[in-house]
Amino acid sequence: MEALRAEGLEKRYGEGETEVWALRGVDLLLQSGKVVALLGPSGAGKSTLIKVLGLVTHADRGDLWMNGERVLEGGRPVADVGELRRSHLGFVFQKANLIPFLNARKNVEVACEIGERYSPGKRAAELLAYLGVGHRADAYPSMLSGGEQQRVAIARALANGPSLILADEPTAALDRDRGRAVMDLLRRVAHEQGTAVVVVTHDHRALDVFDATYEMEDGRLSGPNLAA
Amino acid sequence: MNLAFQDIRHHLGRFVATSVVVGLLFAVVLAMSGIYQGLVDDATVLVHRVNADLWVVQQGTRGPFADPSRLDPSLELRVAAVPGVQSARAFTTQVLQRDRGGRQLRFALVGLSFPEDRGEELDVVQGHAIRQAHGELLADASLGVAIGERLRLGRDEYSVVGLTRQLLASGGDAVVFATGADAQAILADDSSDALIAERERRLARLRDTDLGRSQPALEGLVVDPRWTFPAVAAPPIHAVLVNAAPARLDEVRDTLARWSDVTVWTRAEEERLVLQGMVEKARMQLGVFAAILVITSSLLLAAVLYNLTLEKTHDVAVLKLLGARATRIMALVVEQAWATAILGYAVALALGSQAFPYFPRRVVLTETSVVGVGVLLLVVSTLASVAGVAYAIRVDPGPVLES
Ligand SMILES: Nc1ncnc2c1ncn2[C@@H]1O[C@H](COP(=O)(O)OP(=O)(O)O)[C@@H](O)[C@H]1O
Ligand SMILES: [Mg+2]
Repeated sequence: MEALRAEGLEKRYGEGETEVWALRGVDLLLQSGKVVALLGPSGAGKSTLIKVLGLVTHADRGDLWMNGERVLEGGRPVADVGELRRSHLGFVFQKANLIPFLNARKNVEVACEIGERYSPGKRAAELLAYLGVGHRADAYPSMLSGGEQQRVAIARALANGPSLILADEPTAALDRDRGRAVMDLLRRVAHEQGTAVVVVTHDHRALDVFDATYEMEDGRLSGPNLAA
Repeated sequence: MNLAFQDIRHHLGRFVATSVVVGLLFAVVLAMSGIYQGLVDDATVLVHRVNADLWVVQQGTRGPFADPSRLDPSLELRVAAVPGVQSARAFTTQVLQRDRGGRQLRFALVGLSFPEDRGEELDVVQGHAIRQAHGELLADASLGVAIGERLRLGRDEYSVVGLTRQLLASGGDAVVFATGADAQAILADDSSDALIAERERRLARLRDTDLGRSQPALEGLVVDPRWTFPAVAAPPIHAVLVNAAPARLDEVRDTLARWSDVTVWTRAEEERLVLQGMVEKARMQLGVFAAILVITSSLLLAAVLYNLTLEKTHDVAVLKLLGARATRIMALVVEQAWATAILGYAVALALGSQAFPYFPRRVVLTETSVVGVGVLLLVVSTLASVAGVAYAIRVDPGPVLES
């Protein structure tokens, strides 16, 4: 099933001398239940693409559909961004960005409350257990390791059963083994929950977890290269 | 889930510390308004308690507190004879300072026109009103004397028979009441120039008479103010207090106002004179200071609360990425501000009620100031959170993705 379709996305920062084309006509089709990698050198426009797909940054041009619903038309949002974030989108960042004054369970619960789809207490307990951090539910972020924080962050991204998870270098702050474990989890999420997952990464050792990879260079996207 | 509550709970120490600081600040605001009110109350309490409808004083003066006023004692009887007057009482007042066991006793001595006025209306909280024509005093508890204590004033010893509470003269000194005659005797022994001059005048007048020249021994008597000697004027009184039948009050006032040797003030006018004469400057000073304090405290509170919001920039951005509605983000900011203000207010009130009684001057918390400070806190915290919300709503969630 088609989770996301993007056509002709263009994004330019600055003007004149400082003008940078971060996206130069990006087309992309993401299927539910697949996890894909977004590779490319620094400055290639990967983060910009994630932000445009996540409706955090406005594109200058292009069209976007989520679950068949038109979201961007000529670069302009034509849907309720808040509603899309609540029900269709999940973000995972390089840093976990958990809310420091909420424990792990409450960090997930608050996302459930905002999404208003599942009963928060039950959903949070299930997700934390699913991601292997059920025993850390009462811990505050400052007491969690980087890997544990990232698992809680993934649980939070899953809180409202999103159709698309956007992850920008989610393992950059983790060591190899923990990074690998998080990548495996994202793959599991895609395959078991039927979510489309896009992961920006530099880590070429973990490429085997992806169903497909895209390469980005200078604002242009190439791919998909299907996994062997 | 109430995010403000969760945040407060997690940073309880900081929240309490912030609220205590806010509380201290506004306790000072409360104290200033209380000191201001206390000054006004203290200045007028004597006028209030002696409960006279009219104050008859020396012609052209604003006496007896704001201006010196000297009247012949016979005025008491003249006033009493005016139709409609229910009672006329002679009134004297003078601030005295006496050394007592190395401690300075400073008080305003007021003479009551005994036996009609025994100080029963003054709210004696301990002991009893004056019962004997000589030798008894009513003192304000703030003077620090006890019932039964004997004070040497002038040539005689006086014993404290009753205590009043918070009965002060306009300058803040405790009031001591004696019978009119006793008060005159005590004042006569005061070393102030005016009284020495008065004594000299009496002696001079005595020596002018044949009797005085033939009987030098009379000189000892004539300087004792308790003796009235036909040939010598009695010592002056400072005011005559008049109570009249309510229906005839205006009539009495008009009659007295026509007399050429006196000026008549109503109770309200007398209170205003005391305030204008004695405490107007201090009052304005306090008022200006209180205003500056209110502004400073409000700005500080606003800055503290706004800062709390700035610290949440990152969390607000995360909440936005989760799709949080504006109301949830506003609630986080506003509820925390209110919680700080409410705890701060409680601290200010608790601190005030514990500490203010130990202040040297009376601190009067009126309903207006207590409610006013509460409203002020609420308004300031709300305004600060409006600024905070305006900021939070504009927070761009973009940078969170990469940071
Ligand atoms: N907010 C911005 N303002 C100006 N230029 C930006 C901004 N964000 C990104 N860029 C520029 O856009 C290009 C793509 O950046 P980015 O999408 O962050 O690349 P990547 O994530 O692949 O490293 C870079 O040249 C970067 O300098
Ligand atoms: Mg990037």
